[in-house]
Amino acid sequence: MTSKIIDNVLKSARTVLTEVESKQLVAEAGIPVVETKLAKTKAEAISISKKMGFPVVLKIVSPDIIHKSDIGGVKLGLANATQVGKAYTEIMAAAKKANKKADIHGISVQKMARPGVEVIMGMSKDAQFGPVLMFGLGGVFVEVLKDVAFRIVPLNRRDASQMIREIKGYPLLEGYRGQEPANVTALEDLLLKLSDFVDKNPKIKEMDLNPIFAYKDGALAVDARVILES
Amino acid sequence: MGESLTKKLDRVFNPRSVAVVGDKQALGYMWLRSLSHFQGKVYSVQIDPNELPGIAQLSVKNYLSLKDIPGPVDYVIAAVPRAVSPVIVKDCIQKNVGGVCFFTSGFAETSTEEGIRLQEAITDLAREAGLLVIGPNCVGIYNPKIGLRHNPVQAYGEGGTVGFIAQSGTHATLFTIAGTRNGIKFSKSVSYGNAAILDSTDYLEYLKIDQETEIIGMYVESVKDGRRFFHCLRDVAERKPVLIWRGGESEEGSRATASHTGALAQSSVVWQTLIRQCGAIRIENLDEMIDTVKALLYLKPATGNRAGLIAMSGGQSVAIADTFAKAGLKVPLLSQSSYERLSTFFSIIGGSYRNPFDISSSFLMSENAISNLANMLDVMEQDPNIDCIVLELFTIISPFSQDLGKPDPLLDTILEFKDRTKKPFLTIVTTAHSETLAVEIRDRLTGKGIPCFPSFERGARALKRLVDFYRFRQEQYLN
Repeated sequence: MTSKIIDNVLKSARTVLTEVESKQLVAEAGIPVVETKLAKTKAEAISISKKMGFPVVLKIVSPDIIHKSDIGGVKLGLANATQVGKAYTEIMAAAKKANKKADIHGISVQKMARPGVEVIMGMSKDAQFGPVLMFGLGGVFVEVLKDVAFRIVPLNRRDASQMIREIKGYPLLEGYRGQEPANVTALEDLLLKLSDFVDKNPKIKEMDLNPIFAYKDGALAVDARVILES
Repeated sequence: MGESLTKKLDRVFNPRSVAVVGDKQALGYMWLRSLSHFQGKVYSVQIDPNELPGIAQLSVKNYLSLKDIPGPVDYVIAAVPRAVSPVIVKDCIQKNVGGVCFFTSGFAETSTEEGIRLQEAITDLAREAGLLVIGPNCVGIYNPKIGLRHNPVQAYGEGGTVGFIAQSGTHATLFTIAGTRNGIKFSKSVSYGNAAILDSTDYLEYLKIDQETEIIGMYVESVKDGRRFFHCLRDVAERKPVLIWRGGESEEGSRATASHTGALAQSSVVWQTLIRQCGAIRIENLDEMIDTVKALLYLKPATGNRAGLIAMSGGQSVAIADTFAKAGLKVPLLSQSSYERLSTFFSIIGGSYRNPFDISSSFLMSENAISNLANMLDVMEQDPNIDCIVLELFTIISPFSQDLGKPDPLLDTILEFKDRTKKPFLTIVTTAHSETLAVEIRDRLTGKGIPCFPSFERGARALKRLVDFYRFRQEQYLN
């Protein structure tokens, strides 16, 4: 099984997938991912938002701009067509200001996802042991506390179950101070799907699903980033 | 593992004839002396006339070439200058020997052009001819049952169930001799150095199917094919406990590996993941290797992490409880019926029996010392809140019989309980004023098959590893 998305990106001599491409790939892996569409004009952005329903999020889509929010390339919680139109113009201006030569594919439109417990899943390759999956809680837990667990691909159900329970922050997934508990089995399923997918697609070098919102009744990947082997 | 490789490994692990090439006075004839109790034929190959009298003194017949030896040679140990090694490999091939272990070093581990070239030369020659090469830069095989040793201090005559695979020759030697002192008996051990042809995974696959081996210890710095090692380890660890001590875990340590066995720096986190994921047991030093193997050999399977602790005094009872709790074990209260039974014989004046027990007044200073101890152990055995039982024994006021020739009621009581209990049970004898006395008592317990540890920390860590190991196994079967 090879993915058309991977083939197309490699054909265009790139290794970094855009947000839209990354999410399409994640969806191919069978992982629920927030619906995201590419708009090439302001009018298109407005019409997509109306179909999806407000509020929406707009993000710059360019392989040359990696840290999107740092340059003002992300606008959250846009509640109506006017706000979407204004955001579109501002993002385009910010992107051009940040990098005149950037190859801009357009702007992505996605529905604001219902908040859940933020978790991260990722894949990287170890020189000795090959593809390795990572699991952790999102935000400060992964960035500052590095509270993450690893397993070597391929994972079985026990691996997935143990790696989720291995992190120190696991009680947060069980529902802490009235927060909705996460469905841990659904997270295990996601890890198993991810393991299976990277096992079958050796051209993927690194992957980040960050954040994934974990809910009582499932989980949803909100952002994704995929890098291919050169 | 292919059938032919298994057969070849069987031949070199159980040789009927061994030839040592290049043993000499400067080594104290270490190799030939190591083979003084070998049950098969031993030959020497040495061309230096100055060495011949020393070899003759050991009553070993010397030849000027491997090819001159009459009859087959199963295993060759080569301690020759590195430049000669390709010639030795050619001779081994012509002589149709099973395998050759190169004690010789100075190959790829030196990162020199000459060393790398020579290693490639012997590898190419041997691979083409199907000759097994162990090492180079190692001490090779230990099989105590047939007296095949690589150090004259190693035990011989009686085999056991523990196999050991070590990249380092020193660790293979130290673990086998220190292990023996601790009641660990070996099936087979191998040190494999630079792993030119056979890597740790090959030996692991061999010990997986070896019927004499029930527990496998490993000292590894790097592996050649990580994916193969991962799949192999996962498979083996489901059948036999595998303990892995990874050398070069710290950044400082991995610099040392690069110069030690030509290994590359690796990510320690992924190694730890690998060990945990496969259900192997992570070991961090030689003492832990000894302690954990001992626990696996001598303790009953653990069903939980709740420890019942019996200490000889108040201060020690606090210290042992702290140590076991810090190691991740639980020290719970006993059941009501246990407390009712204890109250009938246990003196709380100068003692305490909540858990930990402080048994100074009911044992050290009691006329009913032995029966009291037997009753306390039985309370722990019967109590549903307790999964594992730990008994501290003193060396300050040694409660053991001072006369080794006479019967020792304390030793008998402990032995009787060890045989009877269904729970993991261990003793701890710490050193007070005399290391000699502590060792003497530990040896006495070990001699009776009673597991004994030299400190609270070491006992606690070994027990924790045992508990974790059996819990992982249980989860494995539930899934």
